Amino acid sequence: MPAPPPSVGIKEAFREAIRTKSGLAGGIMLAALIAMVVIVPIMAPYSIVKRWGDGQQWLDNPRYAAPVWSEWFTSKELPESAIFEPNDFRKIRINTTQFNLTFVSLRRSFTYTADVFPSELAMWAWATYGTGSTPSVIVTWIRPDGQEVEILNEGPQVRAPTPNTYPFSSTGQMSRSAQAIYNWALSFNATSLAPANSTTPWLYVKPEVTLFAVAGESMLDFRRAEVLKGEYAIRVELLGFTPEDDLDAKFIVYGTIFGLAGTDNTRRDLLIGLLWGAPVALAFGVIASFVIVVIQAVLGAISGWYGGWMDEILQRMADFLLIIPLLPILIIIALFYEVGIVQILAVLIVLGFVGSTTKVIRSLVLQIREEQYIEAALSYGAGRVRILFKHIMPRIMPYTFALIALSVPAYIFLEASLSFLGLGDPVLPTWGSLIGNAYSDGALFHGYWWWIVMPAGGILFATVAFSLLGYAFDKVLNPRLREE
Amino acid sequence: MPFLSVQNLYLYYRTRRGLVKAVDDVSFDMERGTTLALVGESGCGKTSTASAILRTLPRNVGRHEGRVLLDETDLMGLGDEEFRKKIRWRTISIVFQGAMNALSPTSQVGDQVAEPLRVHLDLEKEEAAAQAEATLQRVGLPEYIANRYPHELSGGMKQRVVIAMALVMKPKMVILDEPTSALDVMTQANIINLLKELQEREFLSYLFITHDLGLASELADQLGIMYAGNLVELGPATELYEAPQHPYTRALMNSVPRLRGGQAPESIPGTPPDLIEPPAGCRFHPRCPHAFEPCGWTAPELAEELRSQRTLEAAGLPAIKEVTVRDDQHLVVELAEAPKELASLGPLSRFVDGQKRSSPVYRGIKDLALDGGNVVATLHEPEVPGPVGSSHKASCWLLTRGA
Repeated sequence: MPAPPPSVGIKEAFREAIRTKSGLAGGIMLAALIAMVVIVPIMAPYSIVKRWGDGQQWLDNPRYAAPVWSEWFTSKELPESAIFEPNDFRKIRINTTQFNLTFVSLRRSFTYTADVFPSELAMWAWATYGTGSTPSVIVTWIRPDGQEVEILNEGPQVRAPTPNTYPFSSTGQMSRSAQAIYNWALSFNATSLAPANSTTPWLYVKPEVTLFAVAGESMLDFRRAEVLKGEYAIRVELLGFTPEDDLDAKFIVYGTIFGLAGTDNTRRDLLIGLLWGAPVALAFGVIASFVIVVIQAVLGAISGWYGGWMDEILQRMADFLLIIPLLPILIIIALFYEVGIVQILAVLIVLGFVGSTTKVIRSLVLQIREEQYIEAALSYGAGRVRILFKHIMPRIMPYTFALIALSVPAYIFLEASLSFLGLGDPVLPTWGSLIGNAYSDGALFHGYWWWIVMPAGGILFATVAFSLLGYAFDKVLNPRLREE
Repeated sequence: MPFLSVQNLYLYYRTRRGLVKAVDDVSFDMERGTTLALVGESGCGKTSTASAILRTLPRNVGRHEGRVLLDETDLMGLGDEEFRKKIRWRTISIVFQGAMNALSPTSQVGDQVAEPLRVHLDLEKEEAAAQAEATLQRVGLPEYIANRYPHELSGGMKQRVVIAMALVMKPKMVILDEPTSALDVMTQANIINLLKELQEREFLSYLFITHDLGLASELADQLGIMYAGNLVELGPATELYEAPQHPYTRALMNSVPRLRGGQAPESIPGTPPDLIEPPAGCRFHPRCPHAFEPCGWTAPELAEELRSQRTLEAAGLPAIKEVTVRDDQHLVVELAEAPKELASLGPLSRFVDGQKRSSPVYRGIKDLALDGGNVVATLHEPEVPGPVGSSHKASCWLLTRGA
């Protein structure tokens, strides 16, 4: 006769599980995750996450920036973004009543000491001007070696409060600036990267390189150019024809490192995605696992306790649902319908109301039901439902608990897989969708390791935490694994 | 009218090999406030008798018949739901064997004692708990025990809890199914004293099921001896202990070791019979030292004996070549030297008569005849003796024919 399952209470099982090494490790990891879940809404409120997909929100961040701590692993000093808001400029405004002229000069100087070039340059300018003549905006780049380059001289397109945007690094869009920089560089006999027969060689200019490079032959070649360190300045000037004319500017020298987790192709702060991945993965994994395992356990208990046709039906349904491939079905559903994380959960529950837990619990109940106190309860006239809930359920609860902990990783992985395939929640950032984005942007090919490693680490951390806990429970509850 | 009257009770179980005749035509009466002890070896149908009365039946019941009159109510006539509501625990309750396992490990014993109250009377939790505590006190347990879990109690305490559980609805009758079998002797004595006390105080009737004759003597007013699904002897305990009538009862009594007196305990030869195909006639006859001609000898039994028989040659008779069973009553024996005439059967008959004294199976032979070259042995028809006696009944030819 098989040994009846040991009878342990949930509390007792938990206490014993925590006492094992793996249980302790799992418990600490889980506690860390939970702490993260608590801290996240404070650090990154939902209002930020809601606009995760909104590109306008992230314009101040550099693109493809590595985490700041990656600097520790190189001998070089890497630049962080330098953002100059309108208030950071020294502003001089002169109004001549005689000719009705207005002159505005904005100037900002800064020190550049990094060993590598910045990743991008961009400017926003808010211009106020009358209906008559359009003023001109002149941007001058002042270098530590005394060189001055006029990189912009044109009238604004829109009036404040809408800013005029000047993405200097997009040379196609800012071809006149690129041309000016190209011509300036040629005065140092610089070698262009453009093919000899190119009619628009300035499109090959990288302003963020050339403007920061030591003047000379290599200044147009981003592979060979050397960084010129020292005091730079940017001057933005407006010459207007009405007394009301005014100008404000914002300038960003984008760095190559950002935050604790870096950024992705759309300049999003990956830390926010990573942090929010924890509650999403945890909530999805725990809720899916809890609901599915509890339903399966109850049905397994019913199956084992009542037997007969109910047993037959439940077990055959479990066989059926165990062999149908879950992931392809979910993919098909996600392709045909717009599904959020809640709908995915619902589909999982419907397709998993019976399954392996039903079978495990049924086999336990088949042993429990032969025990004497069940016979005693039947003989004093207790109904079958009452016995199920009073005597059988309490016996299987600890096992159900262990099974919940053990199956959380599977659901975290499932959610990550769906998100990776782009079939997960369309709004919330999840670890799976971060990896999915990275994959489709060729992150590994380009060496954006942080984009992959950190969300993958998150998935690993969460699944290992639950697995360790689950194994600890298993050790306590499984009679064959009980350590003497 | 007796308090409990059981008449011609049958309980058979269906198995793949056939029907197991666990309780076969059992009848007894008992009075209110007395104890009837059912004693027998393991597997003789004692517990099945209790199951048949209390209807705690497994799924594979093949036959469940008879009359059970309790306080003039025909229990067998009640529907299952009615039986559950009116009889279970309100009138008859049961103390199961193996107190160690009769309590659910996951709930407090107070809850478990209160369970029948909650199930039957639909009492509120507090009220049921109060009554459960009172019942625990009735069986001599302090009330704080109610908040303990079974694993925190000793075996004797658990047994008391199980008894409290049986008494919580104040039934008139309690079936005690080996209530002390898992306990040590001192605790057994304690529990038996408790049961006696409760019986006196609450005028309980006990159907006490045990394999222990000594223990039965402590409690029993009446004693019933069961063997292979039959009640072979039933009578007042004192009489039965002093003058057992049935050979099985006698053998059972002789198998009990005694502290005083030089008599060594004796075992009963053979093994308990298979209840799917029990022996014909009296079921004890194959192991009985007294067995008579019509006790139920059948051709297969005799054939088995003859096949293993070598004494025929020793007696100077021709060896047996083959033994064929024709039917239950007829056996064909082919001898190495075929006897030619009736007269040559003489030595054989004398041999059989001689064997009758030592091997009871030969007593079943009614006569020998010649058929062709073979000897045909005809056996006596099995006849089951009816119970003999009025207050002390036993079913054995010994009582009608004399030793």
